[in-house]
Amino acid sequence: MRKMTTGRSPIWVFRALLVAACLLPLYWIANVSLSAPAALYKTPLDYVPRPPTLENFRAVFAVNQFPQNVANSLVVASATTVLTLGLGAPAAYALSRLRLKRKNAILALFLGIAIFPAIGMVGPLYVALARLNLINTYAALVLPYTLLTLPLAVWILTHFFSTLPSSLEDAALVDGCTPTQAFLKVILPLSGPGLSTSAILIFIWAWNEFLFALIMTSTPGSRTVPVALALFAGLHELPWATIAAATVVSILPVVLLVSLFQKKIVEGLTSGVER
Amino acid sequence: MIGRHEAALARWLVAPALVFVVIVGAFPVASQFGLSLTEFNLKFADERSFIGLANFVRLAKDATFWHDLWHTLYFTGVSVSLELTLGLAAALLLHGLVRGRTAVTSSVLMPWVLPTVVAATMWSLILNDRIGLLNSVLTELHIMTEPIVWLGPRFAMSSVILADVWKTTPFVAIILLAGLKSIPRHYYEAAALDGASAWQSFRSITLPLLKPFVAVALLFRAMDAFRIFDLIWVLTGGASKTETLSIYIYKTLFRYADLGYASAMTVALFGIVFILSLGLIRLMRVAVEAR
Repeated sequence: MRKMTTGRSPIWVFRALLVAACLLPLYWIANVSLSAPAALYKTPLDYVPRPPTLENFRAVFAVNQFPQNVANSLVVASATTVLTLGLGAPAAYALSRLRLKRKNAILALFLGIAIFPAIGMVGPLYVALARLNLINTYAALVLPYTLLTLPLAVWILTHFFSTLPSSLEDAALVDGCTPTQAFLKVILPLSGPGLSTSAILIFIWAWNEFLFALIMTSTPGSRTVPVALALFAGLHELPWATIAAATVVSILPVVLLVSLFQKKIVEGLTSGVER
Repeated sequence: MIGRHEAALARWLVAPALVFVVIVGAFPVASQFGLSLTEFNLKFADERSFIGLANFVRLAKDATFWHDLWHTLYFTGVSVSLELTLGLAAALLLHGLVRGRTAVTSSVLMPWVLPTVVAATMWSLILNDRIGLLNSVLTELHIMTEPIVWLGPRFAMSSVILADVWKTTPFVAIILLAGLKSIPRHYYEAAALDGASAWQSFRSITLPLLKPFVAVALLFRAMDAFRIFDLIWVLTGGASKTETLSIYIYKTLFRYADLGYASAMTVALFGIVFILSLGLIRLMRVAVEAR
């Protein structure tokens, strides 16, 4: 173990290889997006854009729904995050800190939702949402997404609340607060780190979701980014350079989130694993 | 007094989430079990009838189902084993990193946070037989003369596994890194004093203490891999022997509108995932208790 922390050993070569392996496909798609569409048909290929051009990005935004698809994704992912936290945070608090009957049954219910194949929920939910005339609306995505991200939020937040010292509520109760006031005035203001960690993971999940988005939307204007990307191929005859540009646009929010909040993402992923 | 107030508060805090899950979630889940016992095709929606276990009998005789089950098992087994191995290697590389930690961790996280559809598109651009990066590089290095059809029958499953390994190894690495960090440094110092080699302390300290973390990563990865849909859907559409159970269910549902049969398959898939997760959770408990 000690060997690994010392200076310029070959470990840096392997670390560089690891980073390269993770980033190579991103580099390549960025390269294609910045090259002329014809550049892909050269042999051998150019490994840098020669010359760089923004023509593919102009083409993406000329497909008039794409900005709308980006807006749809933003709305759906944000609404899902707010709704999931609104439902999940109070539940997680009760499950981790309060006396509650049938706690295990409730946790089992969440676990059941988490392991049920999503493909099996799509059919019946589609029929139900169609009956309510909600297909092609934001609700058709936000409702299933909230259902599917709730177990994750409850999992992370239950763990987060259990790390807060119980002396917090005890002190509030001694000072004459009711448990409700203790939750609202003492615990909630301290929940920022737990809430933001889960918010980032929920947002990323909803931004990336494909299966429900594919099925619950049928008009170009109501699609989210992943579906728009996947169906690009059918719309035009595999315009790879434009697809690459659209892909680059679609990953910008996620790349931004990772660069800014990588520490929080790691925390969220590993919460409940460490004890 | 406070006890009763606390119980009431707890109920009120849990109620909204519970009501939501029951209305939006329990209904579709429960309806799958009901529908699996019926003959119900959306094309002939009026002719719905109860047929008992006939759908499951049909399933047992359905060669496509058995092939797809095998594809799913093969995909899960190979990709999750590779992810655990490479994830452990990556975690060891990340552990003890001080300089450049933010940049390296961000790079490693990148594949995991990208939309699966995006990852699939990236790999299509690399693996495409005519315009792909891989064939171009291999030709230039004179390793091959004829372009290889990476997404064709011969290599499609391996290509799909490669893309999945690229995308999800970071998740395993992050979980195992948390495990490495949880091992007290003085264990290694003591072992070094006793003259243990780096390999010996890896075998007898790192690996055993890492077991619970391996179990968690294994549980999450195996369950996701078993239900894989979007990566394969975009890369091959299920062609070239890469059709998994989720894709077969999707086709049954949306091409043939056969809701009854699709539901029976969903119930079967759920059953397998359920047994799988019970097994893995038991494994996890054993690993935790052994600590």
